[in-house]
Amino acid sequence: MNEAEEISSKQKQASIGEFFEKNKHFLGFDTQQRAIITAVKEAVDNSLDACEEARILPDIRVELRRTKSDELEMISQDNGPGIPRDSIEGVFGKFLLGSRFHAIRQTRGQQGIGITGVVMYSQLTTGSKTRVISKVKSDSSAVFVDLGIDTKKNKAIKSSEKRDIWIDERTGVEISHGLKITTVMKAKYQRGKKSVYQYLRMTSIVNPHASISLVVMDKEGEIIEEGNWVRTSNKLPRVVEEIKPHPHGIQLGTLQRMLRESTDRRMTSFLKHNFSGVSPRAAKEILGAADIEEGRTPKRIKPDEAKAMITAFQAVKLLKPPMDCLSPIEDLLIKKGLSKAIDSRFASTVTRSPTVSQGNPFQIEVGLVFGGDLSSEGPIEILRFANRVPLMYQQGGCLLTKALEAVNWKSYGLDQPGGSGIPKGPAAVLVHLASTNVQFTSEAKEAVSYNEEVFDEVRKAMLEVGRGLKNHLKKSSERKKAKEKFELVNIILPEISKKSSELLGREEPDLAPVITQIMNAVFLEEELSWNKESRLSMCSVTIHNYTARARAYTILAKWPEGEDTSMAFNPRGGRKEAKGLWAWRLDTLDPGTSTVLEFGISGLSKGDWNETDIFFRGNGEIIGATRMDEALLDEQRKAEALEAAVEEVRRSSAPSEAIKERPVTVFEPGANTDWFGMEGDGE
Amino acid sequence: MSEAPRKNRKQVVEALHEVAAEMHNRMQRGDPPRMILPVRSKTNISFDNKLGVFKYGKNKTVRDATKLGSARQLLRTLHITEFIEEMIDSEKSSTLREMYYISEGWGNGKFGSQNESNNLAEDLEIVTKCLREDFKLRPEEDGARIIGNITVEERNRRGEWMRINCRDDVGDSGYGVPYNVEEEKLKLVDEDIDFVMAIETGGMFDRLIENGFDEEARCALIHLKGQPARSTRRIIRRISDEWKKPVVVFADCDPWSFRIYASIAYGAIKTAHISEYLATKEATYLGITADDILAYDLPSDDLTKQDIGALEAELSDPRFNTGWWQEQIKLMQELGKKAEQQSLAKYGLDFVTDTYLPEKLDTIGLGY
Repeated sequence: MNEAEEISSKQKQASIGEFFEKNKHFLGFDTQQRAIITAVKEAVDNSLDACEEARILPDIRVELRRTKSDELEMISQDNGPGIPRDSIEGVFGKFLLGSRFHAIRQTRGQQGIGITGVVMYSQLTTGSKTRVISKVKSDSSAVFVDLGIDTKKNKAIKSSEKRDIWIDERTGVEISHGLKITTVMKAKYQRGKKSVYQYLRMTSIVNPHASISLVVMDKEGEIIEEGNWVRTSNKLPRVVEEIKPHPHGIQLGTLQRMLRESTDRRMTSFLKHNFSGVSPRAAKEILGAADIEEGRTPKRIKPDEAKAMITAFQAVKLLKPPMDCLSPIEDLLIKKGLSKAIDSRFASTVTRSPTVSQGNPFQIEVGLVFGGDLSSEGPIEILRFANRVPLMYQQGGCLLTKALEAVNWKSYGLDQPGGSGIPKGPAAVLVHLASTNVQFTSEAKEAVSYNEEVFDEVRKAMLEVGRGLKNHLKKSSERKKAKEKFELVNIILPEISKKSSELLGREEPDLAPVITQIMNAVFLEEELSWNKESRLSMCSVTIHNYTARARAYTILAKWPEGEDTSMAFNPRGGRKEAKGLWAWRLDTLDPGTSTVLEFGISGLSKGDWNETDIFFRGNGEIIGATRMDEALLDEQRKAEALEAAVEEVRRSSAPSEAIKERPVTVFEPGANTDWFGMEGDGE
Repeated sequence: MSEAPRKNRKQVVEALHEVAAEMHNRMQRGDPPRMILPVRSKTNISFDNKLGVFKYGKNKTVRDATKLGSARQLLRTLHITEFIEEMIDSEKSSTLREMYYISEGWGNGKFGSQNESNNLAEDLEIVTKCLREDFKLRPEEDGARIIGNITVEERNRRGEWMRINCRDDVGDSGYGVPYNVEEEKLKLVDEDIDFVMAIETGGMFDRLIENGFDEEARCALIHLKGQPARSTRRIIRRISDEWKKPVVVFADCDPWSFRIYASIAYGAIKTAHISEYLATKEATYLGITADDILAYDLPSDDLTKQDIGALEAELSDPRFNTGWWQEQIKLMQELGKKAEQQSLAKYGLDFVTDTYLPEKLDTIGLGY
């Protein structure tokens, strides 16, 4: 089986007519404005999922054109693996319920009705067929086919099928793999907050590895809206492992179906094969608690017994499900994604560690951007995502919004009238829930339903980015103060001296002692820059001693230490104090003198490193730096040592695991951490 | 104490140099340059028993070069000093606004706003004990207009003394008070009036003239044009001193009008350093009072948020710390209302001159 076949074969099918009937009003086609968003969403989500699994960096192009006053033609084209000819009917002719019943994993497809809904809607509203062009890399030609749906027989109807070379209309180049869908439907294009444009903009933020473009044309072919979001990272989301469901998250109906469909002969093997977190010992304990013989055939288990099993699942101690089924975006990429869509001054991001709720692993990520072009009027923009899919409707009823509203943003520097609710100010907050089983408030799948553990995690993540913002604002104001002082002694004071001397016809006084008296402090300024030639992220720290005494300090700087980065330029040497923390002992700094400390980091791109924290050890305060909190540093060192020991054990016990692709440990760019005691006594 | 103390050119330049010298001396000693000024707020004005007006108290503020903003102020002060010296040398004068624009060329000494340049000029007056006129700086603000049977002599721009009767030699807009009303520019020559009435609004000023009130009540009417300019307050003071005529103030009934009266009778906070030349302690507040709103059942408006704040501030303003004012302010707070002078028109256009003013004047012994 090639990749494409493998993917499509996993897509189990459910009865179309039944599903459609039951969920008609939840399918996202309830208004003509929404229909086109839903259609684009289904096509783009499928493209992104397929590319991700086939390890292809996605190029996705969406074209919308008005054909009649209330009709739109949608063209969606990707460079994904394509769909093998034999699977096309299955993919486009039956509703996909994703793979969630059989294997658990974080995918986008979980959240939609599937592309079949689009084919169906097109047929119902315009009577037209959906044209599919699919090219699989291993085939010599592409499949061209028109699809309709026989709703009675729950089958796709193929027509005008042919095989041909597929030439890209725009470039004239033959396409080696990809998928193109052309369909017409009753729909209206709408701009603004709930638009295809906004949907794709949000999608591009959480998929920095994708290039997405949009062209919307009116009947005459004039472009009325356009968007082009270029890839900002070549790093594909990591391959997520499929995991089996965990007993804590299983409901009776699901268990009964699993039992029914099981081919296992014994209950012990049924439990071992179909669930995660169930050891052979645990399996025996469960069956014992449920009073079921170990050798029973799963198919023969009665409803009462299944119920007893559900109770037993909660009573028996089980292992946690594995976490590598989740695909977080990761802080640095969130930062990149946000920066390509929103022009801002500052970004604070956090990726929380994965955790479990009712047997389902989940992970929360939050990004906050501030300043720049963002409007300071009105409430902040909230960008909600579940498994990298934008949530555009029902913002108020969503858990992700509620957790944000529960934070006291005032103490982090954002205006929040009344002390709760959506804060105001020049900021935008992104919140991403990655989970194998996102629980929505309704089938419309636009609002995440309440769950204490998830709420708590979102809140904690918000607090973390909030601290980052607060720290940033504090630093900005300190920096401003220092800048003013420099202007005072370097520009204004000499002018006062000159002017008064002129007026009086006297000699100009020596200003050095005056300056020392005015400043009476040690000042530190740091500047981060990008060196194009050496491709290093440079940090330059200038320390001025404007006191009457000689001073000696050790300066410590945070830097993005990680597997990909290294301290490539460091003429002053110094030493590592902890992960991401380097220290330099400086020579004695005489009164009225200054010195510059410089270092450069390799392995980053321009703009990756925008903010750092500088600490010091020594007598007297430094304006612009924080006194090192030695107790917290010790704690961190201990935590690191422990982590290293655990890693050591893990590597030796599971050598195969260790070489698997794991997320690169992404540095925390300064702003996010508070374990160095950011609220230092520097004032 | 009517004569304002004037300094000659040499004295002015010397006084200004002292300011620069203090800065220079301090820098030579290794200290940040500075200026010491009285605190210019309501918390630092107190009644001067000898002068009978409100003056700045003992609280001083140090403007020194340890903060960027203050350092800039010092630099600007030096630029102003230089500018004034140049004007004195070349026998020119300029408006405060012109100085504000001229400061465009002063680099880091440039003013941030016109308000700032006005304040700095006042600061210099305070520390040098000179007057703005000594600095050759003129205000932009309009002086008052006067109608009534008084005669003045004003030195015109050709240097000739012109005799003007403020009833017979002027049009409907009255005699325009120049910005400089000191002896060298203006002489009070003759009068045939019983008192002076200062009026807040132009509408009421014109009403009284149309009704012939100045002749009937034998008074001079002065239109204040809102918060009165220095020259307006100064000419009222001179009329009071030189002719010994009573002064009454007729204004709206709102917190801002109370402040207009206070600046005439007690001295303004901003110019407390020269209150003894500007304030007329004999001036009486005639109306409209809070009592009048009730007594005359006047149409009134609700107090705005700003009005309420201003009233609250006045309760702790030492100038209003008299039984009568505290009563009036508290009554107004209770009513939650304010009334305009022109609300008297409720009873007809002649009501103000036929009934209201005669009744009010009678209560203070100025009945006619």
